[in-house]
Amino acid sequence: MRRESLIVGGLCVALLVGALPLIAHHSFAAEYDSNKPIKFTGKVTKVEWLNPHIYVYVDAKDESGKNVNYAVEGGAPNGLFRQGWRKDTLKIGDPISVEGFLAKDGSNTVNARAWVLPDGRKLFGANNEGAPANP
Amino acid sequence: MRRAVTAGILILMVAGAASAQWVDVPLPGVPRDRNGKPNLAAATPKTADGKPDLSGVWKNLDAKYLNDLASDGVQVSFTPWGAALYKERQETFSRGRPSESCLPHGIPDAMMVPAAPFKIIQTPGVVAILYENQNRFRQIFTDGRGFPKEMTPAWIGYSVGKWNGDTFVVETRGFNDSSWLDDGGHPHSDELHLTERFRRPNFGRLDYEITVEDPKAYTKPWTASIRFEFLPDTEIMEWVCENERDAARSVGK
Repeated sequence: MRRESLIVGGLCVALLVGALPLIAHHSFAAEYDSNKPIKFTGKVTKVEWLNPHIYVYVDAKDESGKNVNYAVEGGAPNGLFRQGWRKDTLKIGDPISVEGFLAKDGSNTVNARAWVLPDGRKLFGANNEGAPANP
Repeated sequence: MRRAVTAGILILMVAGAASAQWVDVPLPGVPRDRNGKPNLAAATPKTADGKPDLSGVWKNLDAKYLNDLASDGVQVSFTPWGAALYKERQETFSRGRPSESCLPHGIPDAMMVPAAPFKIIQTPGVVAILYENQNRFRQIFTDGRGFPKEMTPAWIGYSVGKWNGDTFVVETRGFNDSSWLDDGGHPHSDELHLTERFRRPNFGRLDYEITVEDPKAYTKPWTASIRFEFLPDTEIMEWVCENERDAARSVGK
């Protein structure tokens, strides 16, 4: 229950600051392609709550219908923690939708702009410094 | 909608108070209103000797200064060496920046990472800055010493500070040439000389001005002005760089 409250609270704070870019410590453009926006829905397979940026791995289908495991880069753990995220906000097996941008190196790495939970709540936990305002 | 947002914030505050020892700590010494809300417009705190007390956790609100210290239209006049290096970094989208390999941010960019605030601890003789970013620290000596005759090249150099009225003036030399002034790649050499001016006009605000002098990289000094905001009731947390993938994945164009 408390966890739910935290997510809702964090979401409200995120909405308040939603117009501001959420910040990483590095340039977006060296790694990610703003011309390759991506949206997918899948299941969480692994969460790395580590500095300098969290990674959430998500099993999903790519555009051709092939199964892929996306490595989704998010924000810095402490910054997310201050927003109300916790290490177990996303758990293995959770369904999740991700909006972000694909890496330039051709891998299945994604820079997240927003995470959408099954009930439609949207968590901004992106690492999108330098990324376009809207995918 | 406003009611829902307010409710959300209240839920966050209540739930946070029950569970978070790091980010909702009602710290003493913070002026508060009747409801316990920090009053950031209160007067500047003072130390026992009457100087403004800069102590507290501070945060840069605008990532643009991390990307480009010369935002806000600051004119930067490069030497040919500085111009070539900056151009190369810009063209490769900052590939090779130190933090891509878990190497440190320097001055001032360790303070410019909005997701990682910094803590100033002002004591007689030394002002310490604890950067949450990569958990590094900096000492600014205020006991009247000058620069040592010999300095080993350092990422954050050697800093001495003194008060000029209500402004804390810090001079730093003794740099290596490894750090970048910002993620955009404004370069510097080991001839870098920084002058920083800190002023706390009220409880919640810290005005910061930095002048960059480096005859190898710039034909004349240039100055950037940035404002930090007091972050109440939070502590600096652990930050160990253990999962950095940027260097391996950086394409750079």
